[in-house]
Amino acid sequence: MTRRPAATIAINLVTWAIVLAVAMPLLWMVVTSLKPQSELFRIPPTLIPSTVTFEHYWRVLTETPFLLYFRNSMILSVTTTAVVVVIGTLGAYSLVRFTYPGRETLAGLVLFTYLLPSVVLIIPLYLLMVSLGLANTIASLVIAYTTFALPYALWLLRSFMAGIPEDLESAALVDGASRIGAFVDIILPQALPGIISTALFTFILSWNEYLYALVLVNSDSVRPLTTGVMNMLIASFNIEWSLLMAASVMMSIPLIVIFAFLQSYLTSGFGAGGVKG
Amino acid sequence: MVGVVFDKVRKMFGGVEAIPALDLAIADGEFVSLLGPSGCGKTTTLRMLAGLERPTSGRILIGDRVVNELPPGRRDIAMVFQSYALYPHMTVGENIAYPLRKRGVPRAERPARVRAVAELLELGALLDRKPRQLSGGQQQRVALGRALVRDPQVFLLDEPLSNLDAKLRAHMRAELIELHLRIGKTMVYVTHDQLEAMTMSSRIAVMKGGVLQQFATPAEIYHRPANAFVAGFIGTPSMSLVEAELSADGGRPAVRFGSVAVALPDGHLTAAAAGISALAIGFRPEDILIGEGAYTGTVRVVEPAGHESIVIVEAGGVALTVRVAGDRLLRPGETVPLHVRAERMHVFARDGGHRLNADRPMPGADPLKMTPTKERT
Repeated sequence: MTRRPAATIAINLVTWAIVLAVAMPLLWMVVTSLKPQSELFRIPPTLIPSTVTFEHYWRVLTETPFLLYFRNSMILSVTTTAVVVVIGTLGAYSLVRFTYPGRETLAGLVLFTYLLPSVVLIIPLYLLMVSLGLANTIASLVIAYTTFALPYALWLLRSFMAGIPEDLESAALVDGASRIGAFVDIILPQALPGIISTALFTFILSWNEYLYALVLVNSDSVRPLTTGVMNMLIASFNIEWSLLMAASVMMSIPLIVIFAFLQSYLTSGFGAGGVKG
Repeated sequence: MVGVVFDKVRKMFGGVEAIPALDLAIADGEFVSLLGPSGCGKTTTLRMLAGLERPTSGRILIGDRVVNELPPGRRDIAMVFQSYALYPHMTVGENIAYPLRKRGVPRAERPARVRAVAELLELGALLDRKPRQLSGGQQQRVALGRALVRDPQVFLLDEPLSNLDAKLRAHMRAELIELHLRIGKTMVYVTHDQLEAMTMSSRIAVMKGGVLQQFATPAEIYHRPANAFVAGFIGTPSMSLVEAELSADGGRPAVRFGSVAVALPDGHLTAAAAGISALAIGFRPEDILIGEGAYTGTVRVVEPAGHESIVIVEAGGVALTVRVAGDRLLRPGETVPLHVRAERMHVFARDGGHRLNADRPMPGADPLKMTPTKERT
């Protein structure tokens, strides 16, 4: 169907307007982080800074525990992602390929836990971490985030693996692979888009999560970025906006880099053509 | 000697008995087809041989080894799947090399072996391509190559030609026959296409409902079917099977269907026919002749097929399929004389379906001579 030029222009205008509206907070965040303090509350506000300064970035990096919080967030997010991906892929494989009593009940229960609001689990999880001696540790956050990322991971990966033809594994077994060899050589490459989706989801969840981090950890040495930045830059009567914006930009960079790097794996057709009919 | 034996093999799926008790002995170097309609248990049988399904009871032997407890990778078999099952993320060369990798063949040795198989199957120029870049026939040859490269003792093929168009299927049939003649290994081939089974096999195992109906050469199965099911399943066009009664015609034993009575030649029935009057009789399309004859029929349908025509004729209230020369002109509604070659009539018990007519000499050469070097046991 060919559109008239006027309709094409109108659609493009509307689309770009929506993109601009969505991107404006991000854009304003970056612009604010580059403005000198004196320009911050100028009326009228300026979209392009009269002077570009990186002093706020320097101050965040050198005068605050930002790098410590960054390290904690990185350890937390990477560890949670690894745990969820490993358990999720093996668990999903079990749900799809093996037959055992209670398999479908187990799958249903996993889904049920995902339906619970995460906030109702805070107190039970806190008490559990205390009883395990893990309160105020990164490990407590890893366990907490795994609790609500794993159900999603299992269901997503289950549907990916169900779409992988069983003949591929059977062929690998006949060719001499062990069961785990067939899993590594054949299943994992075919499930890669699902694994990457799961990893992205888990990483973003772990990186951005605030409530559990606020409740389960309260020492600077283990605080992640979300609670750490709020704690150091936001007080009752004073918010260091320029430092907050600089910190926010730096917090966003890992997510943008990871997403930009991995999104091509999400869209490439990995499974096409191997099985006929 | 690496033959294959199924010794009272039984397979249950939950409460469903898929295969009650299979006894089958395949000789070394034979090309045996497992033939039957969908759901007859042929693929289950093949998968049990491959180790992808466990028998509920019974033994499976490859050579002298009982392989029930052996994983697929240690049975010295190779399998070509109906879907080809090529690894999509690997190139053609990597697909063919994969079995060598899994068996620990030294890395330096692999390229030469892959190249040798690729040259044999005319895949040399395709080694760097991915499966999705290949045609159906090329994919099928890659699957064959992956099986050949390991030099296994037994080849298993699960309907490998079913996804190909008719012309390519005919070409690949010939290639598979040639391949078997060249390598002389035992091949077990699953198909629902009786033309494939008849043209490629040393012997055919016809199955129905998980039960082996007959295990014999293609000629024997065609000319001496063990029962009505085998008779009706084998042959294109199918045998005309009609219900009949044993009677007397002028003092001679005859079979009667509708208003037609066909006298039985002397000694046509075996002792098993004693006391049985409810029959099913069968005529191959070439055993009824349109021309001079004692019977008449009415042409219902004419299906010209070039070199021959398939004609449906109604006689005695039943429809019979007749094969005539392609230049014979017949019209629907035309009344024609029919000659029935009674000596070639197949007679089965209506209850149970087992054959009641005596063996008759089989025409033509024995397809067993297709097996080049191995003696039949």
